[in-house]
Amino acid sequence: MVAQSKRTGGLIDCDIHPVLSDFNELVPYLDESIQQYMNIGKFAKGALAKQNSGSFKFPSSPYANPLPVPLRADAFPPNGDIPGSDPAFLAQDLLDRCNTTYGILNIGHGTMAAFHNVEVAAKYTSAANDWLYDKWIKSDPRYRMTMEITPLDPATAVKEIERIGKRPEIVGINMHCVNIPLGKRHYWPIYEIAEAYNLPIVLHPDSEGTGEYAATAGVGPASTYMEWHTSLGLIGQRNVISLVADGVFEQFPNLKVNFIEYGFSWIAPTMWRMDKNWKALRHEVPWLKMLPSEYIRRNIRFGTQPIEEPARPKDLIEIIQMIDAEHMLLFCSDYPHWDGDELDRAFLHFPQELKDKIFYQNPLESFRF
Amino acid sequence: MSTKEKHRLVVCPAEEMQEGSRQLIEVNGVEIGLIRAEGVCYAFRNSCPHQGVPMLYGSVVGTMLPSDPHQYIYGNHNEIIRCPLHGWEFNLKTGKAMFSPDLSIKMYEVKEEGGEIVLYLDRAPEQVTRKEFSCILSS
Repeated sequence: MVAQSKRTGGLIDCDIHPVLSDFNELVPYLDESIQQYMNIGKFAKGALAKQNSGSFKFPSSPYANPLPVPLRADAFPPNGDIPGSDPAFLAQDLLDRCNTTYGILNIGHGTMAAFHNVEVAAKYTSAANDWLYDKWIKSDPRYRMTMEITPLDPATAVKEIERIGKRPEIVGINMHCVNIPLGKRHYWPIYEIAEAYNLPIVLHPDSEGTGEYAATAGVGPASTYMEWHTSLGLIGQRNVISLVADGVFEQFPNLKVNFIEYGFSWIAPTMWRMDKNWKALRHEVPWLKMLPSEYIRRNIRFGTQPIEEPARPKDLIEIIQMIDAEHMLLFCSDYPHWDGDELDRAFLHFPQELKDKIFYQNPLESFRF
Repeated sequence: MSTKEKHRLVVCPAEEMQEGSRQLIEVNGVEIGLIRAEGVCYAFRNSCPHQGVPMLYGSVVGTMLPSDPHQYIYGNHNEIIRCPLHGWEFNLKTGKAMFSPDLSIKMYEVKEEGGEIVLYLDRAPEQVTRKEFSCILSS
């Protein structure tokens, strides 16, 4: 465990990952049809265990993290279970140590967004939401959560938001990226209710490369985990462009979209290039009434982790300042993942005023608190 | 400043400014482009404020008016000139860029008087040169 944070002032950690110890934890929340589909509960088969009984396979990335321990090795709970599986231990190991005001839970087993069987994905998603609420939210008053939805099926997503979206502990909608750009009208029923409920849309890598409807990563498959991980920002960039160009923020001016874990230093060239193209090609998107960068500044927010680390740390601060992004960044630890950030070290060179915004004020304003 | 206080400069006979035609004149070292579209003569500084290319090569077009998302509403028919390099749109009636009222090309007052095309300028035209101009867009 690293040292206790000496920081004063509020802290909202916008990206903490709780995980299931076992899919059987979902049994109380799933009807028999899906239990049978997933081979869990009373439908578990003993045979062919190494092949998962030869049928259902939870969608996971083919890009395996090559590190010896692909999660924080200091985050294993005392019972030896998976890091992120014990609510009490996580509260002690992360929230107590960092003096966290609120910790936003983005489920680590929510990666059914790009799964080919949307009916299964939808029921799984509801079960995961209920499990997260019962096991985690009720265990500590500092926990908040984003709710999962099925981006491939907006009508079902809207029903799920209607079902639980008014719970005060739910502070955002974790939608995930699939192979339909985020600006398309396909999603607009989701955006409509998100805006009405004052819930931001949250995008977090999970479905990239894990399902048949996964977003493509630029020109083609990466060769390594390192290459795949670095390329995630391209998907974020592409979707920022889509959201703005398709007029989502003209239609839903109060909608917030929080890109978590896609990086943020690329915002500057994205803004510059979009603004330049809009000046020339405005007639193709006549619904845009102001510079694309102004929509980005008004409606889109970015998680800080994994923070970019230029050779001169202050270069990163200059990028933030040159595009007026001080209000756009949200602190994320990504605990217990391997690429998380320690707030006392990752922001060492940041001015105090900027840290105050990133740690507390910006998350407070961009999630539903 | 009223027309009477400006400096009158005859550019060419009106028959040289048929619909769609383009003329180029240099006055005191500044190029001024003239075009006629939908019967109206326009004169403007022949330099885009962006990267300086000659605006006289620009297409005269209509454009999509500001609208709700995913709606196309055509308007300003033949009242827009597009920079020939990047396509920036300027309203020929005001000079203003479509993307920002804070940016414009300089427009000059031009009239058809007694069978002549006449510019009215703020400064006395001391050096005047008619320049040959042709482009694929001229009629």
